[in-house]
Amino acid sequence: MTDYNSESSDPSKGVKRTNMGEDGTKDSKRIKTANGDEQYNPYLAHTYEDSSSQQNGFKSPLDQLERHNTTALQMTKAEDGERNPWTGEPHSQQYFKILQSRRDLPVHKQRQEFLDTYHSTQILVFVGETGSGKTTQIPQYVLFDELPFQTGKLIACTQPRRVAAMSVAQRVANELDVKLGEEVGYSIRFENKTGPKTMLKYMTDGQLLREAMHDHDMTRYSCIILDEAHERTLATDILMALLKQIAARRKDLKIIVMSATLDAQKFQSYFYNAPLLAVPGRTHPVEIFYTPEPERDYVEASVRTVLQIHATEPEGDILLFLTGEEEIEDACRRISLEVDDMIRESDAGPMRVYPLYGTLPPAQQQRIFDKAPEPLRKGGRPGRKCIVSTNIAETSLTIDGIVYVVDPGFSKQKIYNPRSRVESLLVSPISKASAQQRAGRAGRTRPGKCFRLYTEKAFKKELIEQTYPEILRSNLANTVLELKKLGVEDLVHFDLMDPPAPETMMRALEELNYLACLDDDGELTKLGSLASEFPLDPAVAVMLISSPEFYCSNEMLSITSLLSVPSIWIRPNNARKRADEMKAQFAHPDGDHLTLLNAYHAFKGAEQQGTDMKQWCHEHFLSFRHLSSADNVRAQLKRIMETHDIELISTPFQDKNYYINIRRALLAGFFMQVAMRESSNSKVYKTVKDDQLVMIHPSTVVTSPYDWVVYNEFVLTTKQYVRTVTNIRPEWLLEIAPVYYDVDTFEKGEIKSALSRVTEKVRRRQAIKGSGR
Amino acid sequence: MSLTHPPPAPPSNPTSSSDSEDDYMKMTFPDDACPSSTHSHPHKQPETSLQRRQRERREAEIRARVKSKAELAAEETAAREAAQSRSLLLPSNKLPKSKGLAMMAKMGFTGGALGSKDTSNSSTATLRMVEPIRVAIKDGREGIGLESERKRKLREAAEALGAQTKRAKADEEGVERLVYAAQRVAEMMDEERKDGLTVAGDKKQTTSSRPLKSIPVVWRGLIRAREETERDRRMRHDLEQSHSSRLGLLPTYTDAEEDLDDKLAQGKSAAPWTTYVTADDLDEEDTELDAFNALPAAEKMQKLVEYLRGEYRYCFWCKTAYPDPEMDGCPGIEEEDHD
Repeated sequence: MTDYNSESSDPSKGVKRTNMGEDGTKDSKRIKTANGDEQYNPYLAHTYEDSSSQQNGFKSPLDQLERHNTTALQMTKAEDGERNPWTGEPHSQQYFKILQSRRDLPVHKQRQEFLDTYHSTQILVFVGETGSGKTTQIPQYVLFDELPFQTGKLIACTQPRRVAAMSVAQRVANELDVKLGEEVGYSIRFENKTGPKTMLKYMTDGQLLREAMHDHDMTRYSCIILDEAHERTLATDILMALLKQIAARRKDLKIIVMSATLDAQKFQSYFYNAPLLAVPGRTHPVEIFYTPEPERDYVEASVRTVLQIHATEPEGDILLFLTGEEEIEDACRRISLEVDDMIRESDAGPMRVYPLYGTLPPAQQQRIFDKAPEPLRKGGRPGRKCIVSTNIAETSLTIDGIVYVVDPGFSKQKIYNPRSRVESLLVSPISKASAQQRAGRAGRTRPGKCFRLYTEKAFKKELIEQTYPEILRSNLANTVLELKKLGVEDLVHFDLMDPPAPETMMRALEELNYLACLDDDGELTKLGSLASEFPLDPAVAVMLISSPEFYCSNEMLSITSLLSVPSIWIRPNNARKRADEMKAQFAHPDGDHLTLLNAYHAFKGAEQQGTDMKQWCHEHFLSFRHLSSADNVRAQLKRIMETHDIELISTPFQDKNYYINIRRALLAGFFMQVAMRESSNSKVYKTVKDDQLVMIHPSTVVTSPYDWVVYNEFVLTTKQYVRTVTNIRPEWLLEIAPVYYDVDTFEKGEIKSALSRVTEKVRRRQAIKGSGR
Repeated sequence: MSLTHPPPAPPSNPTSSSDSEDDYMKMTFPDDACPSSTHSHPHKQPETSLQRRQRERREAEIRARVKSKAELAAEETAAREAAQSRSLLLPSNKLPKSKGLAMMAKMGFTGGALGSKDTSNSSTATLRMVEPIRVAIKDGREGIGLESERKRKLREAAEALGAQTKRAKADEEGVERLVYAAQRVAEMMDEERKDGLTVAGDKKQTTSSRPLKSIPVVWRGLIRAREETERDRRMRHDLEQSHSSRLGLLPTYTDAEEDLDDKLAQGKSAAPWTTYVTADDLDEEDTELDAFNALPAAEKMQKLVEYLRGEYRYCFWCKTAYPDPEMDGCPGIEEEDHD
């Protein structure tokens, strides 16, 4: 946003479009005279038309177009012009270069076909494999047909991932030769890079859903494109159901559902047999190999396979799919070491190994696009690169040059079971559809090979057909709150593509009721309505809203922000001890939440003293990137709190209740995430009401074994852990969440008897106080 | 920014804090608080304080025992599986009434899957989930298919063994029992015939005293086994009774004045203590019998049935002796014929 303001002094900004004179050639002279005119507003373009004759300037070919009746030819002409039809500025050199490559994309050949279908229908299903250019091109085709300056309405294109929304927006801004944040912008959680001129907006699907809470009919948009619908994220699924309803009310709204996979028929039949348009991707055949026997250790087998490819296969880059950061870094290290040996011993070519996962800093993520290394000497064996990635390289990311794919068949997937209320990321086998997608990555440049580290029989028998959509694997508390706010009354019959299990819905309603966001009749309460204003989980939102009652809303705001970003702690493999020592400096004996807060305070303190923060973070083994983004999140949340008159207060630091208040405030939202120690010398805890046995995650700073803890998340690996815990007192539970901690509703067991004892104790203490008076 | 602590805190803080850091975990009130109450079972003797303390200590010990990793893992899994298998919707699970369910009922939920009432245009591919997806934890870094491959191999091996050996073994055992029964019949028949022959005249000749080889091979094994057991029993008995072993623990000395009677009394005599008669040829090798014993049970059975029919016109399956050699009335030689 700031960049955009700083450069708005660009002289050609004030250029106007006009319908005047037919002799476009003369326009170039007049443009200069138009400089300095009042700001041009594209939304008011139609009102300018009458007066256009008085204005000098560039005659945009767009002005002659009839909305929803354009042709591919008209558009190519407009694109070929010397001046940008949207801004009137002369096109840059780079623009034409990009334009040429755009014309080579598979979708371009079907531009007219696309327009014809688009004109004929309200809802359209578009299938194009990754690399067909659909994400960048289709929204632009729509833009040239919707002509937003005529209607004042925007075009939205949703993306499941923040990074994708940002990078695609940047790319499309380049393609249109405009500045990101002006005509083309993006909007993601905690970051909005759009302006008054924005016509095309890339956004996360969750962000569009949040917008709809205040604009039930999505009236700001004339066309909504749901991209990567095959990924079936929770938000996309909800959006599809909503748009299905809205489409019936708003006949002027067009909807395009874009999918990269073949099960598009499912989308088609869901949207009343909408027409389908398919664009073939640029794919080459991929030969698939299976292992004869199942693998004992898939990571080791992966490393072995990569090395084998490097030793025996001709030139071409390798893509290996693994499940998470730790595993990926481990594999990268092992491959690099082995390759060094191979180079020494058998004159192998050089190989560069790059990790790729979501929490990797963007600059490092970018490195995967580097060229493969040159041969070590002239005429030597060719070099290659090997990318070791999570499933983010499966669909959304296109890396050219990949010829070999190694697929062990696993990915980390979110899973939620409403019965045990266990929600976690878990390494699970992928689906057949995923496996096909992965294999397809090998055939982008030329015929490729895919090595599946499982048997063909296992592929057929063990893998499910399609990955379960996220809605079936998630806690829906947040979604239900959003739906309530969106005005959906009947959640039971809400027309979702794949409705969740009834128990999942039941739990969500129940949790929202305990949080007092829904009343007993299922109606949204004032608190619930307020909580939905925060782009946070309902429990966290409620915690934040209640924090002034505990005199610590400033602190809770900080803690919430720190919990909303990836971990701020850095623990490199080669300096674990040092990192732990540094973390210990911030440690608060009562728990991890307080430790986070201490680290943040230290960070802000150092910042105020003008320290070099990058250096400071490096020295203290803290992530500058994540702390900064926490700081940004905090500012955003603070704004929301201020808007809704939520008081920002703190207990004086010297007050002995400073930390106690914070610990109590945590419970106002997280009272459903509490665990009690099994027995006095055990390390095992039992989660309240769900009776799951858990241990405290080794990353904790808590050393004394407290009897009761509140936890931020449940982590399932081969063991069950709770992560980010803080010591609490059971009396607080009875006081802060009396409905949830109504002892009568508990099932027989240690927790019930412990709570009864506490109730009794509290009762007696009060009796003594009463009689003493 | 929260470093600058904004407005001063209000005078009263809502915490009750401070006064109690005592350990509520170890609190035990209902019992001693009201000893006269009927908390303990009326039909049982009230627990004495000593008993209670012992019981509590016992319980505490059980609780306090540090569990092994494997135990913990098993408990974790058990708790997870137990929770996952318990539907929240079935009233039989006696869960507290859920307000969430009540809200859903208000929206018209009557069971089954969620989703649009109008199923006409929804694709058949739609997953209409009734049960939530289960959480399954993967063990370590095992590849896909390893677990099931291992299970399959185990199952196949068990089946291969089970199908052939196990069932065959069971069959074999059943037939062996029949063989034994048939041998007993043969012995009985034989004795009956001898009884018939010798009429009450001579002293009854026991099988034990006659040479084994005179017994038809089909049931000789029965007698031999019995003889052997008898011999072993007697030898053991003799051993236990023998003086040398009885006195083995006592100091022995040679007394010149000991006469034969003394020696006999003390068990030092070499004179035979007891004698018993076994078949003369018990210790001899019996190749004929060994060959018969090595036959499969079914074959032994067949030979026995044939023997009984031939010698005694007796059908093992009919359990009847027939008067005529054609055995008129018996359906056949095989067991199946008698079904």
